[in-house]
Amino acid sequence: MSLSIRSESPQPSRSTVWLEGRLDAATYLEFDDAMRDVTPMVDSGGTLVLDLSALDYISSAGLRSLALLRKQMRDRDGRTLLLNPQPQVKKVFDIVKAVPVAEVFASVAELDQYLDHIQRQMTAPGG
Amino acid sequence: MRLRIPNRLEDVFSALHLAEETLRRARHVDEGCRADVRLVLEELLVNTVRHGYPDGRDGHIDIDLRILTQRVELELNDDGQAFDPGGHAPPDLPGDLADRDAGGLGLHLARSIADTFTYSRGPKGNRVILHFCPQAFDESP
Repeated sequence: MSLSIRSESPQPSRSTVWLEGRLDAATYLEFDDAMRDVTPMVDSGGTLVLDLSALDYISSAGLRSLALLRKQMRDRDGRTLLLNPQPQVKKVFDIVKAVPVAEVFASVAELDQYLDHIQRQMTAPGG
Repeated sequence: MRLRIPNRLEDVFSALHLAEETLRRARHVDEGCRADVRLVLEELLVNTVRHGYPDGRDGHIDIDLRILTQRVELELNDDGQAFDPGGHAPPDLPGDLADRDAGGLGLHLARSIADTFTYSRGPKGNRVILHFCPQAFDESP
C-alpha cells in the first residue's frame, strides 16, 4: 500500500490535506514534494490542516516529514493542525511526543471551534 | 519467514511486504500486532541500510520472522558495522518534533514497541532478537 495525497485550499487562510495509506520510508519523499506545492498556498499566519483519518501507518521517516512541515509553517507564522489520527499513528505520536496535544483534534467540529476561538481572540478589542 | 536481502532500500521494501503477507496469513495475529512488527522491522532495516555500511560495500541482512501461538519473534542478523542500541541515550523529546533535530527516533520507536529487544555483536555481525505482542494472544488455547 502506498500513499495518496489530496489537498484543497478554498481560502488562503486555510488549506486541508488528506493523507491515505502509509507515510513511511517508501513514501515520505512523495509527501515532501506534494507539500512543497501546498504550503505556499497558505497565507502567512494561516492554517494547514492534515486530515489523518485514512492514514493507516506512520514510521519515523514520516514523523521527520511532519516535523519539517510544521517547522516550515511556523516559519511563516502559520500553524499545522492534525485531524483524527488512527490507532497506529496515535500510538507512534504518543511514544515520541510528536506534537502538542492541543494541536490534534478528533473531529472537524472540534478543530473549527478551536480556530474560531483563536479568531475571536485576535479580533477582540484590545486582544 | 526466512529471508536474506542485500543492503539496499528497495530490498527492504520487498521484505516488508513479504513480512506483512506472512503476518496477515496468521489469523491469530491482530492488526495492532501486525503494525507493531511492521514498524519495528522498517525502522531497523532502514537504519541498517542507511548507517550500517558507511564505506558503501555490499552486505546482507538475514530476516527470520517466527509466528508462534503465544507471540511473534523476529531475529535480524547483518554484516554491517556494530551499532549498540543500549549505548544510545533516549532521544530528547520536547513534546513537539518541530523543536528538535531529526534522528534517533526510529531506534527509540523500535525499543519502545517491541516487548523485548536483545542486541548482540558476534564475529559475523549484528544480531537483534525481538519479541512482540504476548498479550495479544491471550485467547489462544
